[in-house]
Amino acid sequence: MSTITVRDLRKTYVVPVREGGVKAALGALVRRRTREVEAVQRISFDIAEGEVVGFLGPNGAGKTTTLKMLAGLLHPTSGEASVGGHVPWRRDHGYLRSMALIMGQRNQLQWDIPVIDSYRLNRAVYRIADADFSSRLDELTDLLDLGSLLDKPVRNLSLGERMKCEVAGSLLHQPMTVFLDEPTIGLDVAMQRRIRSFIAEYNRRTGASVMLTSHYMGDVEALCQRVIVIHHGRLLHDGDLAGLVRTFSATKTITVEFDADADVAADLGGLRDHDDVTITDQSAHGLTVEVPKDRAPQVAARMLSTLPVADLTVEEPPIEGVIERVFTSQDEA
Amino acid sequence: MKGVVNAVRHHLAVVGSYLRVGLLNFVQYRTDFAVAVANALVGLVTQVIGLAVIFGQTTQLNGWDHSGLLVLVGVFFICSGLLGLVIRPSMQTLMEAIRLGTFDFTLTKPADSQVLASVQTVAPQAATDLLVGVGVIAWTLVSDGQGLHPWQVGAFLVALACGLAIIYSFLLMLSTFSFWFVKLDNILVVFEGLFQSAGRWPVSIFPPWLRLVLTFVVPVSFAVTVPAQAIVLGVDGATLAAAVGVAVLFLTGSRLFWRHALRHYTGASA
Repeated sequence: MSTITVRDLRKTYVVPVREGGVKAALGALVRRRTREVEAVQRISFDIAEGEVVGFLGPNGAGKTTTLKMLAGLLHPTSGEASVGGHVPWRRDHGYLRSMALIMGQRNQLQWDIPVIDSYRLNRAVYRIADADFSSRLDELTDLLDLGSLLDKPVRNLSLGERMKCEVAGSLLHQPMTVFLDEPTIGLDVAMQRRIRSFIAEYNRRTGASVMLTSHYMGDVEALCQRVIVIHHGRLLHDGDLAGLVRTFSATKTITVEFDADADVAADLGGLRDHDDVTITDQSAHGLTVEVPKDRAPQVAARMLSTLPVADLTVEEPPIEGVIERVFTSQDEA
Repeated sequence: MKGVVNAVRHHLAVVGSYLRVGLLNFVQYRTDFAVAVANALVGLVTQVIGLAVIFGQTTQLNGWDHSGLLVLVGVFFICSGLLGLVIRPSMQTLMEAIRLGTFDFTLTKPADSQVLASVQTVAPQAATDLLVGVGVIAWTLVSDGQGLHPWQVGAFLVALACGLAIIYSFLLMLSTFSFWFVKLDNILVVFEGLFQSAGRWPVSIFPPWLRLVLTFVVPVSFAVTVPAQAIVLGVDGATLAAAVGVAVLFLTGSRLFWRHALRHYTGASA
């Protein structure tokens, strides 16, 4: 059963247009010029119960606008959406009690008071029963190691500690739909891993659907079985990560390690003569080349026969590179 | 009916929780309290000296005697305290939250967004004004040997509630403009200036056009004068009914405007 259903969702913003300079500024006071920006252009998708989906796109692609429409903050220009049977932008309290929006760049905890007091505020707002509040708080404290943080004012916490407390505070009411907008932004690698493993655990324990935007592919690779890619407000890909790489990557990467004592010919066994083979890294110990996908078997075979190969691997290129290529090619088109 | 009772109970619990958070915030910055006491006392002394100067020259100011105007000053301080306790700081927070995008979190909460926005920040130090106001009225009545009829107390409380509702609605409407015009902080400063200068005097001393402005356009004087009048000169049922009518009008107008604004909320950019 689909938890999130989106059909032809569209959002247009009206933004002021003004040229630089004093004259234009004064002119804008009298006559304001505006233009329409299509932030999201008729996108459609479904997300099933318990699914964790990565929502990818460059800055300004329309990711946050889409998440905000699904969280009920923004009214769409046209189109339909249903989350857990609710129309998000009607913002009925039943819906708001069943979902959470967590934004890595913004805080909702009260700045000057201890974390636990902000949690108590959420208990009143979300009408969480005392017994549930205690047991969930214990569970979250355990999973995120919050014990020493609960009594500290938020302003005294580090960025990572604050994010852990934000995430826990947003999940105290145990939402079954979670929208995460850049949850690991600015965090160190260890803290990113901590947050990721927590999200995976929350999803496993509660069966909640999770929609995640992130610029860190580590988040997406660790958490998402499926990715939705949008660019300029349009949907480019909806499927698994491997499918994204298959669809958008035209090349494979071949890495070889040379025998320790062997001499390597300067022309690399004639490899340099092939126009479609790009050498991306070379040292006395090994070599990395990028080749068109369909040529990979032949080039690998040639390398094995002409070079002193101790080890050879054929891989898809790094996911970051593929995504970048997707966006660049779309911009050029 | 049960649903309405539940909703009211929930919202009262939410308001109570925010008041508690306000108190906790306040404890973090204890010097604020000393500053608030000093501020209230300076304001009171200035006003009392001003009145003494005026009543050194005359015994009446358009029907109001010295004691009557002291009661009005007391009502002014009560209004100022109640507004400063929750409404004014919450409106400032609302404008800031719209600008920074943190208003998103208010909208994702399962409670009435207008209630949440209106109680989200509490400044307990403003209670000083409230206490000063009650003290001034009590002291004036006791030193004049004047008792109060229960009807006067009832009329005073109704008029005060209406006055606060009117000013609250007005401030909410001003703040709601932030949904379209992002930087509007100064508008509250302008209101505060008007409230501080016009609210300390009975609305009847102003020329008719200004009286209309201070009742309907920027309803600062009306909210202070009618409750004071209930104690000093007495008010008739028609005036009270008019106060209730104007309050309902303002509350409804501000509510509709709020709902209209939410439909146009675009949020701060990611």
